[in-house]
Amino acid sequence: MRQKQTLIRLSALLLAATTVLAACGNNNNSANNTSEGTAAPDAAAAGNTPEVKKVSFTIGYASGDPATKQAIADTVKAFMEANPNITVKDLSETSSSAYLDWLKTKDAVGEFPDLVEMRDTQVFADAGKIVELPSDLLELFKDPPQVDGKVWNAPMQVNVPQGIIYSKKAYADAGITELPKTYDEFLQIQEKLKTSGITPLVVGGKDIFHMGFWINKFLIDDVYSKDPDWNSKRTAKTVSFTDPNVVQAMTDYKELFTKYVDKGWLSTADNQTASFLVSGKAAQLYSGTWMFSQIKEADPSFDFGFYAIPDREGKVNVVGLASPAGWSLSAEAAKDADKTAAIEQFIRFFFQKDNYSKYLASINGIPSTKEEITYETSEQMQVALDLITDPNVTKSLAINNWWGDNLIPPQFRNWYYKLMQELVAKDGDVTDYMKQADNEYDNQVKANQM
Amino acid sequence: MSANLVKAEQTLAVANPKRKRKWQSYALLFILPSFLIYTLFVIVPTAGSIYLSFTSWDGISEDIRYIGFANFVEILQSTRVHNALKNTLVMTISLVVLENVAAILLAVLVDKVRWFKNLFRSVFYFPTLLSGVVMGFVWAMILNYNFGVFNQMLDAVGLGSWMVDWLGSPKYAMLAIILSTVWKGAGYYMIIYLAGLQGIPAELNEAASIDGAGGWKQFRHITFPLLAGSMTVCMVLSMISALKIFDQIAVMTDGGPGFETETLTYIIYKVGFGELRQGFGTALAMVLFLLILLVTLIQVKFLRKREVQM
Repeated sequence: MRQKQTLIRLSALLLAATTVLAACGNNNNSANNTSEGTAAPDAAAAGNTPEVKKVSFTIGYASGDPATKQAIADTVKAFMEANPNITVKDLSETSSSAYLDWLKTKDAVGEFPDLVEMRDTQVFADAGKIVELPSDLLELFKDPPQVDGKVWNAPMQVNVPQGIIYSKKAYADAGITELPKTYDEFLQIQEKLKTSGITPLVVGGKDIFHMGFWINKFLIDDVYSKDPDWNSKRTAKTVSFTDPNVVQAMTDYKELFTKYVDKGWLSTADNQTASFLVSGKAAQLYSGTWMFSQIKEADPSFDFGFYAIPDREGKVNVVGLASPAGWSLSAEAAKDADKTAAIEQFIRFFFQKDNYSKYLASINGIPSTKEEITYETSEQMQVALDLITDPNVTKSLAINNWWGDNLIPPQFRNWYYKLMQELVAKDGDVTDYMKQADNEYDNQVKANQM
Repeated sequence: MSANLVKAEQTLAVANPKRKRKWQSYALLFILPSFLIYTLFVIVPTAGSIYLSFTSWDGISEDIRYIGFANFVEILQSTRVHNALKNTLVMTISLVVLENVAAILLAVLVDKVRWFKNLFRSVFYFPTLLSGVVMGFVWAMILNYNFGVFNQMLDAVGLGSWMVDWLGSPKYAMLAIILSTVWKGAGYYMIIYLAGLQGIPAELNEAASIDGAGGWKQFRHITFPLLAGSMTVCMVLSMISALKIFDQIAVMTDGGPGFETETLTYIIYKVGFGELRQGFGTALAMVLFLLILLVTLIQVKFLRKREVQM
């Protein structure tokens, strides 16, 4: 009798423990949103329509830029309205972290998105986290870049050039009538703006990705436009960050930031920069074409222009080469045929002429598809398009967007941008800081080879 | 079951070996669920972390390679880690001292105040209820160079030349984090000190007063020594929370400007997640674990000794 009682108590205890653990398990499953494989209740109840499988998948993308976030959210909403049997769960969050940090954290907690905007393609492909783009989707795109001979991404757009977005009023008030033809003329403009009493430049240095705009402008002018294989040479230690061209690039960066950038740049977020410009707190912003929508939204009457900053010899070099980035299918989602089909359906929907043109118009992007996409472009966007089509303009990439032998250690970009923040904040010696960059680069290469 | 019944049951158990076994099996049954959960969620991951600290795992691939002590050698050589360790120690010492001093002062004040006693207690305790993230956002807004209230106040009173990017300056960013954390944490320790103060017999202060001791002397020779027990608890708690500080740094400075406010906990997150070096990050976590263990043991030993002496 006593044994029986003990058994009953033990069973009750185990049942309680199982219930607790089962509850945890259920919660986890719902978070992962696997395809359910059940018939839509309405369809089943009606009995006269074919059964449609309910499928759901998760999506994640870089949402630091409000215009991009809104454009993708709108497309997702339109897709779900057009396909009621498919649920897309948007995991994207606006945070102060870099996109890679966010993605890595999602992976660590088992929430790696089924469909993900991939920027560090080679890293995640090597880790087996993403799969090749389904071959039937390749027909949609114009020469998508390959990594290890395979296409991993549906490119969301072609890389757009970055340049100076300036207030026409501030330029007029400072007596600036012509745009610069050389970098020295650009510096003279900064001096004129400063003298006129306005802060020449606003920088959203609180967001680490924003630092890349300026740092890469100087690196492209002095390094990548002349030697696109510089990264692979750096990995092989045949070039150095202490070489005169890199030191010159970072000296120019430091000088510009010290003299002409708003003093609060390290605590200014990227999404605050548009308001600085339209409110007249600063005269210029160095960013990409996606900012045009934000600026117009902040003040539709704000009159602004756009141009690429020339280098010292008067040549124009911009970000504009294709790089392996865009929508990628996670390896986990690819195991589920229904989910894969739903994701393919979404990708086709995203790049459909009507939807894609709306997306591109919201972010002022350049299409990556074979099909010609048109949308009404602004005067500023036309300048960007002219830069892309001008054969005299050198197209290049940011330090971290190269791949293959030119891939830098994935952790180096953010570290380097932070080092460059410190260089300005502590008024450091450029050569000393470049020595630190060399050491860290070598350490990271070594660490990745272990 | 009341304490007496438990005692009686135990006494019977000692007298009767069969009852003793039964009692032990019941005890095991009660312990088992907690033990299983603790083992599953704490012991197993901790043991796994020890192994990971000897690998070069990037945190995303299936490939986990054993690299011996390479991570620990790198920790010894890395200037970034040394800087983070220095920042951690500076922040810990500053926070332990400032939080406890502020908490004792607040506790004495709210203990002595005649009117609105509960209001003052609530007001000083309120910041404790905020999460580190919310507190970080609030202070980041207050200290913003262009839009922050603090700089606008300086400007309004004619001290515009003192305006600084408080969170973007290598000189002030650390100070800003420390002071805002003291603002958040002092109220919590104030409650513990207040409980300690209320446990001090009033006769002691009355007797000292009759003997001619002033307020400061009474505090120094009666109140402060008798707060030793509360102080042990508060110092250990504030030290552990200071060593683990993360949220405020993530929100207010992201470890910057540059690497100026990176601490060990923050660098663990940055290298582990942002820089795809989970193995190295885990090795750093092991170092932090040993550091907290060591400092806690020393602190408890020292403060306990002081309690006995008092």
